Amino acid sequence: MSVMKLSMGPQHPITGHFRFILDVDGDVVLKLEPDIGYTHRGIEKLAEKRTYLQNLPVIERTNSYCDSAGTMLGYLEVIEEIMSLEVPERAKYLRVIAAELNRIASHLYFLCLASVATGLETMLMWPINDRELILDLLERLSGQRITYTYPTIGGVRFDMPDGFKEEALKRLDYLEKRLEDYYKMLAWNHTFQIRTKNVGILKPSDAIKLGIVGPNLRASGVKVDVRKDESYEVYDRFDFLIPIGKNGDSYDRMEMRLKEIEQSIHILRQALKDIPKGPIKTWAPPIVPKGEAYSRVEAARGEFGYYLIGDGTMKPYRLKMSPPSFRNLIALPHLCRNVPLADVPIIYISLDLIPMDVDR
Amino acid sequence: MILGLGFSELIELILKVLIFPGVAFPLLFAMIVIWFERKFLARIHLRIGPLHVGPLNRTGLMQPIADFIKLIQKEIIVPDNAHKFLYNLAPIIAALVSAMSVAFIPYALKPDGGYWMIYYTPLSLLAILAIFTARPFIMVGAGWASNSKYCTIGALRAALQLLAYEVPIALSLASIVIMSGTFDLAKIVEAQSSIWFIILQPIGFIVILIAMMAELSRRPFDIPFAEQEVVFGWPTEYTGAQFALVMVSEYFDLCAATSLITVLFLGGWSGPAIPLLNDISPMLSGIFWFLFKMAILTVIIIMGRGIYPRLRIDQLLDAGWTVLIPLAIIQILITLLTVQWWLPLIGGG
Repeated sequence: MSVMKLSMGPQHPITGHFRFILDVDGDVVLKLEPDIGYTHRGIEKLAEKRTYLQNLPVIERTNSYCDSAGTMLGYLEVIEEIMSLEVPERAKYLRVIAAELNRIASHLYFLCLASVATGLETMLMWPINDRELILDLLERLSGQRITYTYPTIGGVRFDMPDGFKEEALKRLDYLEKRLEDYYKMLAWNHTFQIRTKNVGILKPSDAIKLGIVGPNLRASGVKVDVRKDESYEVYDRFDFLIPIGKNGDSYDRMEMRLKEIEQSIHILRQALKDIPKGPIKTWAPPIVPKGEAYSRVEAARGEFGYYLIGDGTMKPYRLKMSPPSFRNLIALPHLCRNVPLADVPIIYISLDLIPMDVDR
Repeated sequence: MILGLGFSELIELILKVLIFPGVAFPLLFAMIVIWFERKFLARIHLRIGPLHVGPLNRTGLMQPIADFIKLIQKEIIVPDNAHKFLYNLAPIIAALVSAMSVAFIPYALKPDGGYWMIYYTPLSLLAILAIFTARPFIMVGAGWASNSKYCTIGALRAALQLLAYEVPIALSLASIVIMSGTFDLAKIVEAQSSIWFIILQPIGFIVILIAMMAELSRRPFDIPFAEQEVVFGWPTEYTGAQFALVMVSEYFDLCAATSLITVLFLGGWSGPAIPLLNDISPMLSGIFWFLFKMAILTVIIIMGRGIYPRLRIDQLLDAGWTVLIPLAIIQILITLLTVQWWLPLIGGG
């Protein structure tokens, strides 16, 4: 049988704003070539033309609909490092709360996609429904559901409203109960297991060589988490585990998110309990002094790196972003060699790639 | 005298062909099942489902009709490089062939001792099997005629899937034939007058239910339609009225398949007499039971969509050949022993 070129996407039910050029022989995909750039907005260049403060909403839109706090924290970290700005304690806690809430929302979104990739619509509806609870909390905190630009240079923009703590704890309790349903419906579903286990196995050595980051790397059994390894904000004060996978297959990558939601709930409970009183923002000058810095944070999809060169003006000289989806994208052609066509969506979704994050 | 039939016979024939179980019944079945499927899945998904269309408030009862009207208004797009004749013919043939199998199924016992079915033949089981087997060829034809890569892959998947379910279905039908000694569906129902075949052949029932779900491309086995992989499989290119025909033909198949399983395993129209219906005519009571059993089977088949992810084609073939076929063969052996030793003891057979 001759090899057929199959163009999957960008008009395709699963790919999102991507195109994959597949070499298909019968039902076997010989080679996958990702064609990216459909959502390229030139955020890195755009950042050079706008002031540091104006950049906040732009940077946030790197990964807008999933993980905006996690994305922004790195940018703020790198600015605050050059300015050697000390952020108030309470602001650090609030940033962690926003970031962890958003991590849960992002992972719930991932679970939806994971079940859609296997054709289970029920688990599309359940997590997206429960995600609303988290987005609602974020709205109470910041006034917006998704792109809320909550953290800002020198702190956060708003304080926690009255009754937020109780409501958040209540919803986390509910979510923890709900996770059991997710396990039953998705992770322990026999059909789901036979469909995803041993599909797209990423060996730890390969994962490190390819530079995979975040939950995908941890699913391969490598214990790496910036929150623990190189603690930022106040993550060193919380007691949480880094779940790791055994086989590094698609199933492990999907289960990893369920485990991480558990840990995020754990962190959030501690943060809500320990949060100190005090100011939420220090005054930050609009001009960033000359200097350069690199920071990395653990966003929901993995390690998000920022490299910033300041030239003593109000605008950055150069901002280089290294988003997790772009770094994980390299695993896709690696894993999609000689796999059945039916496994391509599963491998793709299990890596949790967001086209906007890849293109920037 | 028209067509050699008397007046009352002619009226009966028209009733059969146009209303039940002819043209109107599969259409009504399709409409109700589409509505029910959407509502039922919405409940599983913790959604509400269709809400506003229709006479009863907050039920969305007329949503399928509204969708149908919307679809037939749309432009029919034929791809440039498609085989136009075959491409346009395939949905019509698919709907016709799917609706055809209803003609061979006996739905009730008439008061005069005949059967309420459109066309009586002593080999009705074989006729239905032949019609079911014809479907994948229409799919392959339509997929090829579309001249689109996704359609071709979907059509080939449909053809591969045939290998998984066709043999188990034929084998479990074989054990029914061994037990009842006839290919006549009406006689098969009468053979179940004392005890239903689901009790005598539980394994065969499970095998045929699973194989039928594969035949109908329902959720764990909707591999030819796998949205995430091949967009919509072989009917990807169809639009408007042609797409509506393709969708309706699937529900015609569901109608025929549930009718067939009801006849084969659940005793067809047999059941205790319903007081009110029985007063009008005993036949109506029989039809009620038939539809009731069909409804239960339909719910079971639809439920798969709410709880199972989709299998891969090799996993389905694996399950078909290593699980379903051995089970069906075991069922045949058990049936042979039952017919030989047990049934003469209880005086059945």
